[in-house]
Amino acid sequence: METIADFEVQYSQFLNPEGKPSSDIPELAKEPDALIGLYRAMTETRVFDTKAVNLQRTGKLGTYASSLGHEAAHVGIAAAMREDDVLAPSYRETGTMLYRGVRMEELLLYWGGDERGSDFADVKNDFPYCVPIATQCLHAAGAAMAFQLRGESRCAVSLNGDGGTSEGAFYEAMNVAGARNLPVIFIVINNKWAISLPIEEQTATKTLAQKAVAAGIPGIQVDGNDVIAVRHWVERALARARKGEGACLIETVTYRLSDHTTADDASRYRKKEDVEAAWKVEPLIRIRKYLTELGIWDEEKEKALLEDAADKVDIAVQKYLNTPKPPVESMFDYMYKELPEFLEEQREHAIRYADKNGGEHG
Amino acid sequence: MTTFNLPDLGEGLPDAEIVAWHVAEGDLVRIDDLLVSVETAKAVVEVPSPYTGVVEKLHASAGDIVATGAPLVDFSDVTASDAVPEPPAADAGEDAATVVGNVPTGGELLQETAIAGGSRRHKKGRIKATPSVRTKAKRLGLDLAEITATGKNGQITIADLDSHAAKGKVLARSARPKTIAGRSDQLRGPRRAMAQSMSKFRDEVALCTLFDDADINEWIVKRNITARILRAIVAGCVAEPGLNGFYHSDAMTHQTESRVDIAMAVDTEEGLIVPVIRNVEAMSIDDIRAAVKHLKQATRNRTIAPQDMVNYTFTLSNFGMMAGRYATPLMVPPTVGILGTGKLQHDVVAVMGGIEVHRRIPLSLSFDHRCVTGGEAARFLAAVIQDLEMPD
Amino acid sequence: MAEVTLIDAVTMAMAWELEHDPMVVILGEDVGVNGGVFRATAGLQKRFGVDRVQDTPLAEGMIAGISIGMATQGMRPIAEIQFMGFIYPTVDQMINHAGRIRNRTRGRLTCPMVLRAPFGGGIHAPEHHSESTEALFAHMPGIRVVIPSSPARAYGLLLAAIRDPDPVVFLEPKRIYRLNKQEVEDNGKALPLDVCYILREGTDVTLVTWGAMIFETIKAVDQLARNGVSCEVIDLATISPIDYETILESVEKTGRLVIVHEAARSCGVGAEIAAIVAEKGMYDLKGPIRRVTGYDVVMPLFRREMDYLPSVSKIVDAIGAAMHD
Repeated sequence: METIADFEVQYSQFLNPEGKPSSDIPELAKEPDALIGLYRAMTETRVFDTKAVNLQRTGKLGTYASSLGHEAAHVGIAAAMREDDVLAPSYRETGTMLYRGVRMEELLLYWGGDERGSDFADVKNDFPYCVPIATQCLHAAGAAMAFQLRGESRCAVSLNGDGGTSEGAFYEAMNVAGARNLPVIFIVINNKWAISLPIEEQTATKTLAQKAVAAGIPGIQVDGNDVIAVRHWVERALARARKGEGACLIETVTYRLSDHTTADDASRYRKKEDVEAAWKVEPLIRIRKYLTELGIWDEEKEKALLEDAADKVDIAVQKYLNTPKPPVESMFDYMYKELPEFLEEQREHAIRYADKNGGEHG
Repeated sequence: MTTFNLPDLGEGLPDAEIVAWHVAEGDLVRIDDLLVSVETAKAVVEVPSPYTGVVEKLHASAGDIVATGAPLVDFSDVTASDAVPEPPAADAGEDAATVVGNVPTGGELLQETAIAGGSRRHKKGRIKATPSVRTKAKRLGLDLAEITATGKNGQITIADLDSHAAKGKVLARSARPKTIAGRSDQLRGPRRAMAQSMSKFRDEVALCTLFDDADINEWIVKRNITARILRAIVAGCVAEPGLNGFYHSDAMTHQTESRVDIAMAVDTEEGLIVPVIRNVEAMSIDDIRAAVKHLKQATRNRTIAPQDMVNYTFTLSNFGMMAGRYATPLMVPPTVGILGTGKLQHDVVAVMGGIEVHRRIPLSLSFDHRCVTGGEAARFLAAVIQDLEMPD
Repeated sequence: MAEVTLIDAVTMAMAWELEHDPMVVILGEDVGVNGGVFRATAGLQKRFGVDRVQDTPLAEGMIAGISIGMATQGMRPIAEIQFMGFIYPTVDQMINHAGRIRNRTRGRLTCPMVLRAPFGGGIHAPEHHSESTEALFAHMPGIRVVIPSSPARAYGLLLAAIRDPDPVVFLEPKRIYRLNKQEVEDNGKALPLDVCYILREGTDVTLVTWGAMIFETIKAVDQLARNGVSCEVIDLATISPIDYETILESVEKTGRLVIVHEAARSCGVGAEIAAIVAEKGMYDLKGPIRRVTGYDVVMPLFRREMDYLPSVSKIVDAIGAAMHD
């Protein structure tokens, strides 16, 4: 027998948990404005995220999926994308959405049970959040196909979690992307947990990056808590795809510091020590340390940033809380371009009975 | 606490009967939520809630008669505007576990009985008939229990209804005298209104009636009788406008109208109602026909609004459906004219050179002699007859 | 006898079968360590071990497919799909295989599996977590669809479903998972499938409904009882195959039928019931059959979900209209 195919998976980290740079840290790391920009975005995301959880706890928001701990992965991805690229997220990538230009109040409306939250004012082509796991991977592949057919240099970016790599749609998307050389990047944000199932029980593979081998596309693993690494490799992958060299898979390894959603209780299935250990390597600490070491950050700037972020979030929260319910007929008015005749009677019925349900819950 | 009194429902009526409540004591209602259905003399009216608040007390039950202006509903915690309902707070403490959303938790003990299907087999021998047969039977005043069913599935068919009706005519004479059930009903709804308005009439109006016939032998199209009659009434009003209007007895004023709004007296199960066709003078014969058809349907569905049963200038009473050629119909003050049409029949008439059989409509024109003369009435009737006798 | 909620009753039934039938296996996402996102399988993995109560990787098509594989080879799998919104990848396996295997092998291979999922709206949940698409499965020959509406029926019907030799889709109305409690004896006694359950006897109108809508229906019925209207309330329970004998008998008595379901109107299960009664009960009807349902639109997000669902007023008005026929 002879070996006719082999694979290897490479791992990359530029900034270690203590904020010490590696020798081969990319040029980006020498640009103070860029670095501070990334750090601002990550901090704002965390402040927003904390507020969202609090809103849920005080009954002002529905169930919410926190992105605590994922800030480097989320922001790094968005920072590498071109404005006219298209994002296909799952439902946790708050930082990515905000960086792309989705407004904070839009995210609140979404989790607050209002479809207008997905009608992004400033972001025209990105997909909205996607709840059925990994179905968005195929959408990203489709968007990439459109770009390819029209000869555009745009790319699609698919985001899903470790759990999503078990879904058939994930493999189907990668496979067609490989077979057709599509300009799509599959980014797996491995936060080690799919609700209560740890990554070790999700799959037998040592890495998720190697799932790419089955689809014949390159795959790498990156420290997802290192925003510089994430930004660098996503940019490289996009550049490659734009040149017509096809799809690839990037696994960003991080940790879900929060519960799965605000209605989950992760202490039922996780050990306190594991979570504490994960906190020690979380993404904000290291970039903050690095910036401080570079002499471009200090306590005063930190304080100002936090205040600024809090203000921004407050304004968005007020906008959200002051948005009245959508009119009842809106559940009909976006079903088709033209409302079919048979639905007119139902629409009138709904209007007649609007808000007359007495809040029954049995 | 705020009390909502029964408003004047648009006809100056003294009271209304509660048909059905749409809310219960303790319910939270919002402005414009349906509160209660009431029946006035002519129609069933839906009353919306004027407040957003909690229903504290209902002052009447279904079937009760409430006077206009009397208390109807007490509200508490009244607010003028809707608050945006807040999403329910997450359950703290209790592990009402769910990864999403908010599963309501209650400690109430469910008391229920559940009979598994297939364990009851009571064949009650019900009368079988399609809804259309049932409706027709109702309209004909037939009791389904007395009709023999010949349908393949044991159901009563339309044919069964027809043969029963035919049989009825034969049986009628040989039938044993029926016993009459005595009863005592306080008048409600339209019947109540009738007693009130007839008494008023007797006290005020100087009734006089002219009788004549219209020979419709020459009609090209031998249908749409009601529409032709309505057009003929307009002809009468043109000839003698004095019968198209009102007499206000206290001011002794005779008010003639240029609009001809004709009320069609219709006998329903619940009594007499008078839906109005407006501006008949501006309608073509096709318009009139369409209006009559629409009105019949609305009457059947009881969807005639209160404002469509008031403020008419003349009345038509088609009383002759079953029997009766001539009558002394009574108009409702302050109107001064009413035309009654009796049973259409084929009459033997004298013509030049012999006798023929012609279809004729008997006409009875009643007028209020306080303000209309016999001559005016006669000229009115002549114009009616002339128009009615035209071929089309 | 314990006072249990509907979700407790589901757990009890599965525990009973795990204990008494060694071929029974539970599989699904987060069902083991976590006990299920609604705690339907709470404590079961601890009690019966990781082989009997398995946490699977995240793939619904796989869950349905391997359940079929296990079932045809002598096991009795109870597969949990976390929400009906995620059940659609299973449809390929359920239509193409679960409902057909007995038929296409002339009985040589059979598929005694249960596919359980929470369904229905009104719990203030994010997108895709409020689905009511039971009609999809009801339309598939070879598959039973069962929906309990009380703790006692959840216990008895789930036992029956697990023991049934053919595939059953068991949909649990999540809105009433914990709404109330009922005394349920943990005695392993199953309730019959393929029959309706008469919850109220009455003479004026027949109400047929299922799932969480039972509660709105009962409220409407109680409200009208104050006005002298006597309603018969029937819990359909087995959505497919429908026990139309019980419904027809009731319509024979009342002459009026109002069907209430949360699912969208067109081609919902209410349409099937209406067709059956129009076909076999036409001569008992006094007037048209009425349906009070969700609209033919995507279920709105929770700020408007209560306007989508049949409310007490909508049901009261439909019964009122029927009484005027």
